[in-house]
Amino acid sequence: MNKVKRIGRSFKTIKGIFKLGSLQSVITISFAAITMIAMLVIGIVFYSSFSDNARESATESTTQIMTQAKLNLEYYLGTMVEISDLIEDNMALFTAGNTDKIADILSLTREIRQDIESITLYSDTGAILLAEPDLKFDRNLVPTREDWFTYAAANPFDYVFQPPHVQRIYEDLRPWVVTLSRSMVLDLTEGRRNYIAVVDMNFSGIEEVCSQVELGHRGYIYVVDDSGKIIYHPQQQLIYAGLKEENIQRALSNETGSFIEEFNGEEISTVIMGVEPSGWKMVGISYVDEIVRNRRSFNNLIVVILLVGLGFIVVASIYISYKISQPIKRLEYQMNRIERGDFNIENLEVRGEDEVKQLTRSFNVMIRRIKKLMSQIIDEQEAKRKNELKALQAQINPHFLYNTLDSIIWMNENENHEGVSEMTAALAKLFRISLSRGREIITVEEEVEHAVSYLTIQKMRYKNKFTYSINLPEELKNLRTMKLLMQPIIENAIYHGIANIPDEGRIQISVYRKEDTLVYKVSDNGYGIDENQLENILLEDSTSMHSSGVGLKNVNERIKLYYGYDFGVSIESVQEEGTTVYIRIPVRKEESGEKIS
Amino acid sequence: MIVSILASCASKSAVPIGDDLNVRVIVKKQNHDFWAVVELGALAAEREFGINVEYTGPTSEEDIDGQIRMVEAAIEDKVDAIVLAAIDYNLLVPVAEQARDAGIPVLIIDSNINSDRMNSFIGTDNVDAGRVLGQSLVDTMGTDVDIVIVSFVKGAASSNEREQGVMEIIEANENINLIDTLYCNSDEAIAEALTIDMLEKHKELDAFVCLNAYATVGTARGVISKGLEGDVKIIGFDSTPEEISYLEKDIIELVVVQNPFSMGYLGVKYAIEAAYGNTIPGNVNTGAVVITKENMYLPENQKLVFPFVD
Repeated sequence: MNKVKRIGRSFKTIKGIFKLGSLQSVITISFAAITMIAMLVIGIVFYSSFSDNARESATESTTQIMTQAKLNLEYYLGTMVEISDLIEDNMALFTAGNTDKIADILSLTREIRQDIESITLYSDTGAILLAEPDLKFDRNLVPTREDWFTYAAANPFDYVFQPPHVQRIYEDLRPWVVTLSRSMVLDLTEGRRNYIAVVDMNFSGIEEVCSQVELGHRGYIYVVDDSGKIIYHPQQQLIYAGLKEENIQRALSNETGSFIEEFNGEEISTVIMGVEPSGWKMVGISYVDEIVRNRRSFNNLIVVILLVGLGFIVVASIYISYKISQPIKRLEYQMNRIERGDFNIENLEVRGEDEVKQLTRSFNVMIRRIKKLMSQIIDEQEAKRKNELKALQAQINPHFLYNTLDSIIWMNENENHEGVSEMTAALAKLFRISLSRGREIITVEEEVEHAVSYLTIQKMRYKNKFTYSINLPEELKNLRTMKLLMQPIIENAIYHGIANIPDEGRIQISVYRKEDTLVYKVSDNGYGIDENQLENILLEDSTSMHSSGVGLKNVNERIKLYYGYDFGVSIESVQEEGTTVYIRIPVRKEESGEKIS
Repeated sequence: MIVSILASCASKSAVPIGDDLNVRVIVKKQNHDFWAVVELGALAAEREFGINVEYTGPTSEEDIDGQIRMVEAAIEDKVDAIVLAAIDYNLLVPVAEQARDAGIPVLIIDSNINSDRMNSFIGTDNVDAGRVLGQSLVDTMGTDVDIVIVSFVKGAASSNEREQGVMEIIEANENINLIDTLYCNSDEAIAEALTIDMLEKHKELDAFVCLNAYATVGTARGVISKGLEGDVKIIGFDSTPEEISYLEKDIIELVVVQNPFSMGYLGVKYAIEAAYGNTIPGNVNTGAVVITKENMYLPENQKLVFPFVD
């Protein structure tokens, strides 16, 4: 069960990573992409520099090997040239009739150089003048029809090389040879005479030199003459049979040098060298990957490194992005809960990176503050309701009502009809304003009327034990005010202030404006309040027997809740002299602010 | 992704190159001119494609059992492909099919066997070679001739096919009079004796058409011994040094030569392809070329006639 859960979670995580646009996917993808690109660039740079290196060294090693082969080949050809020169040097002997002597020289030469197949000398008509070895000639041989004769005759003094061919000077001897022929012109007493000297060298020596060249496993060299005829090619027969093609024309058209080309997806290095003095060209074909054997394994290494690196990067970037985004995600989850209105959360655990910690802390502080504010609002609302309830009770204080009604009955029995009607009218007014059809806000005029009604009733009940005066400027009458602000104060003044003094009591009410503040000033000449009481009077619920239950504190709190903490009730009192209470509320022309329902 | 990258690395070259690939070439006879050229071709392919070629063959062309054992050994060695020149048309069939059963490609060169389960046949189209022989007879001597065919082994596939090719030309030319068809059993001495006998019996004889090297050489010797060089023409087959010598001396009019180098080369080349599971042609004709005294020294023919550099 647990396991299933975990798998589910990790699946969720993976899904989370690849949810495009999420923080984690952005981090993962960009991190992986940047690193991959960097690795690729490095890989490509490495590879190309290594590749260039490989090509260079392939060409270099091919050139080195070929140079050796070329020197060997030139040595063979040089030998033929020397023999040809030898004949020329000794032509004087021949023309002097000393044929045996020159035959001896040639015989000796051939003994030293076993790979010389034959040395022959022809007249310009093709007659054989001298031959080493001196064997039976082939009756089918017509020298003037052979390339090696005609080419030499056409190019006097030149060393003319013939590509490998089967020589048929002698009967039943068919050696493969390379032929050097040279036409010499001698000025003799009987006139100018042409001779053709021919040196046949067995091709096996040359073939061996060429075939032993190893340019990797499949590389090879071939040799062509200046007309494109193949001197040597390891697959000469395949070319004749049409099974293989070699781009000989390219080798001919190119000067000596080297180049690299791609063929069938493989890099092929071609090196071309001239072979002196024949005008032949030696062409080396090698496969770069074979010459530089480690290149392919290097390629594979790069690929493996890239793949391993990619895997590592992906894992690392998933991990890193997870580490970064996880705390944020948790925060996001909690915020979502709050967004849905669920404030019932504990403090978030502060962990992760510094920034995230800070964010979490701030978030925690914010949540705490919101919670505090919310509980404060709840408290305030509760207090408001409570106060309203109390104010409501004050509006219909039954005790006061009984007493007043008793007074009315009493006056009626005494047939004080004037008093009855005055008191009843005041009571009616008092209650009308108290109720005010449920409104909390009334005009200042109404508030003052309410106070006057109250004072009227009390004055009658207390048998004119006090007098009162009202000072309400005309311009303040229409301002708005909470209702029943003054009545509790007046009640206090009567019961606690002037009720117990021997002199006539005096209550003065004046309403005035001080800047943006409206002040109800209620002063009496009563007993006064001692300092101890004064300090506590606004804090305690003064629920004395005579109180209507709505004390100074209630008025004070109602003002503060409704108008804010800048407003409220303040008291000045001097013992034996009297008490002045200031009720401050803001000046409001219209009913505004919170509507109390 | 990993797989595709590695695969693209591995399959970079179009020509398969396998150092570990083993191809067994089993010919009819070792140390023989014709088969040595086959070997040259096989070695050229070995070098070109970088594989291992093992070249074997019995010492005698009659050693059928020896050749069967060599095929068996190749199967046992689990070679990647077998290139076989069968001594016998029928007797090599079971062992060759056994190799096929073992999943080894078998390519037949030069001499086919009586089975359609082989991967390929690479060699001279013998019927075609026979036609070339017959046509060159007509080209050099016209159609009004009395001739004898000297074949080698009665019932052997290659001799049957060459005969068939020659007969097509003869039947197309009514004037050609075929006196007899002789079988020398690939023995020069028998061919010589049969020739002498024939020359004595049929004075009107104009030409011999010989279907292999033994028949050609034996016939030439017979003609020489009767002193009829030049009078009785010989149309021969293959190019042994002795035949070439007779050709240059006008004893032999012309020879039709095959291309054993191509057989060896293409045999191994297609064996590699088959070992890699690629499709290869079921039949490859390596061709037959008419060689006369006049064209034998042309560069393109020299290697066919004189294959070896001494």
